[in-house]
Amino acid sequence: MMVAQSVPVAWLVARSAGLVALAFLTVSVTLGLALSTRLLGNKRGKLLLGWHQTLMWTGLAMVALHGGALALDPVMRFGFVGVLVPGAAPWRPLPVAAGIVTGWLMLALAASFHVRRTIGQGRWRLMHYASFVAFGIGLYHALNVGTEFSGARGLIIAGALAAPVTWLVYARILIPRAAKKPPTRPAPEPTTRPQAESRPAVPA
Amino acid sequence: MRPIWATVIATWSLFAVLAILAWTRPQPASAPQPIPGAVVVKGKNGTSNLVVVQPGAATSHATTRTSPVPAG
Repeated sequence: MMVAQSVPVAWLVARSAGLVALAFLTVSVTLGLALSTRLLGNKRGKLLLGWHQTLMWTGLAMVALHGGALALDPVMRFGFVGVLVPGAAPWRPLPVAAGIVTGWLMLALAASFHVRRTIGQGRWRLMHYASFVAFGIGLYHALNVGTEFSGARGLIIAGALAAPVTWLVYARILIPRAAKKPPTRPAPEPTTRPQAESRPAVPA
Repeated sequence: MRPIWATVIATWSLFAVLAILAWTRPQPASAPQPIPGAVVVKGKNGTSNLVVVQPGAATSHATTRTSPVPAG
């Protein structure tokens, strides 16, 4: 086909999906940190937690599309082993391996939401620290092999993505978390009705 | 409902970035246009003639058949 020959569809899909995946990962990590620091309040915690989880899965779907398009790209010739196994890529193995590890970490993090009760809150929280690693090496991958991340433009995009995460990490460390208060008992209902009705009327 | 919204956002984001990348894709460099040149041809009687040469024009070259070298 003429279009397939002139437009590198797989290459363009791979680049687009990679950019969207990084954006979703950034938003998901930012939401998680915002939840952790309670900067957005406790009222919408459940809603934000849901979005935090959903965006991680959606970002993972974009990572899958990114890898699949690269595996099928006729110029790069990665193959499915090259995009699934870290270090197996024939081109720039280290930064590509960073991207592959990011994808596997995202899968583990997204799956961890569903086994949270099984593994326990402590282990889940410990495992959740891997999201910082995933974000960091994902950004390293983008800066080193991302076509859109070359030169000053790349540094600006990376800075814009890293800024909210960095700021919230500092906030998470510096802002003291509110101590858990014991649940307060509701005030007991009055057993007798007030005596207002039996009060004698004040003469005018 | 949330996964549906997330899928819609992801799909539209993907198409938007894809369109931008396809639109801003550098086009393959085309072959440079041939520039006509001029040569000065001097005749036997000392006159000079300016001849315009079209490099792109595909002209058939006249070839001379070499005569066989006479033996002996």
